[in-house]
Amino acid sequence: MTDHVIDGRELQPPEPMELTLEALDTLPEGDEVLLLLYCQPHPLFSILRNHGYAWTEEVRTDGTREIRIRKQAG
Amino acid sequence: MTHLIALGFMLQGMCGALFQFIPVAVGGNVWRPKLVANTVQPLLLLGTLLLVAGLSYSRPELLSAAVPMFLLGLGGFVVAVAMALWRTPATGMTLWAMRMAIGGLAMTVLLGSLLAEAVAHGLSLPIIELTNVHLAWGMGGWALMLLAGVSYHVVPMFQLTKPYPDWLTRWFGPALLLLVIAWSSQLFFDSTWLPVAIAIPLLVILSVYAGATLWLQYTRRRKIHDATSLYFRVAMLSMLTFSFSGAVFFLFPTFGVDPRFAVWLGVLAFAGVFVSAISGMMYKIVPFLNWLHLQRLGAPMSAVPNMKKMIPAEAMTGQLRLHVLALCLLLAAVWQPNLARLAGVAFAASCAWLGWNLIGAIRNYQKFRDQIRANALHH
Repeated sequence: MTDHVIDGRELQPPEPMELTLEALDTLPEGDEVLLLLYCQPHPLFSILRNHGYAWTEEVRTDGTREIRIRKQAG
Repeated sequence: MTHLIALGFMLQGMCGALFQFIPVAVGGNVWRPKLVANTVQPLLLLGTLLLVAGLSYSRPELLSAAVPMFLLGLGGFVVAVAMALWRTPATGMTLWAMRMAIGGLAMTVLLGSLLAEAVAHGLSLPIIELTNVHLAWGMGGWALMLLAGVSYHVVPMFQLTKPYPDWLTRWFGPALLLLVIAWSSQLFFDSTWLPVAIAIPLLVILSVYAGATLWLQYTRRRKIHDATSLYFRVAMLSMLTFSFSGAVFFLFPTFGVDPRFAVWLGVLAFAGVFVSAISGMMYKIVPFLNWLHLQRLGAPMSAVPNMKKMIPAEAMTGQLRLHVLALCLLLAAVWQPNLARLAGVAFAASCAWLGWNLIGAIRNYQKFRDQIRANALHH
């Protein structure tokens, strides 16, 4: 499994979301997109839900959110 | 004229922005947003036209007719938004500022309705004091409270600044609310020193908020000079100028008696602070809504055009420059009345250009939507 990392912490919204969606369109089976942000992207989550993606979220000590996105099984 | 800006521009923009901001920033859901918007917006529009016509032509029946429009339209809006704001599990000072702001809107509408009825029917109420208190709730308790709450979220997010200091977000909203409540006491007590004792701390906290926002912009991680950042800078500089001139107005009664001072403060607050901040926010919100709705058409996610293609950057910065020129002319016209006509034309042109840019964004949305649908049929 490969991680495709998008560091959105220094980018202006919705650039991180646009890059994430572009990456997901060409994401090989079984791979994950790792998105790094300082905030919770509510609009992205709703798009992911509608397009059948699953995600997990972890918060680092510096406030960075690690959001791992993959195609939902089945 | 004041109500055309306050109701026709500011309130329409702020109510619309709340529909987008509540789900995005605090994860709340407004009950049946389409129904609420489609009911509130026509009532608000009709109420505004009736009120402005009633005030301009001194027609009491039009003023009375406007009151139920506002009570019904904005009353429904306040209930729908308050339910969304109290049901969300989110926490934080943005949420609390929005809750206080929606209470401020309710107070503004009630006081405004009372004033309209008092003027229409010649009720024996203290009209000047009521007007002052209505203005304080509208500009402070509602508009500024909402602007502050929204900026805690959007300034770090869109302008890539550090977050606002905790002490500021924790104290600014409650202090503003307390001062607006204290200001309202002039309805019950006749005092010469009380307005000054309340106005000065109020102007101090405005300066602290505006100064902190400018400082955050100055020390941000990545310098961005888009229309939204620049519009926020104009709004905050106007707020600082408002606070300084307001202090002079209150502390030196010789200046205070000059009626031009009140016009100067009005231009700074309406055209300088709120028209600037709201225009800047619209340049973010409208392209984002276009983009979000195009995403929902079901095309491959990357087929949706980049958000920057919704309104050309040059059109936004060009309009911003004209707005700044219009603001300077309006301020100069307070002291040089021969500039008034030119200032009015510049301000009208700047507002028309803003409208044109936003209509262009809608036209682009329709164009991209048709392209996506045509591509879907083709495949």
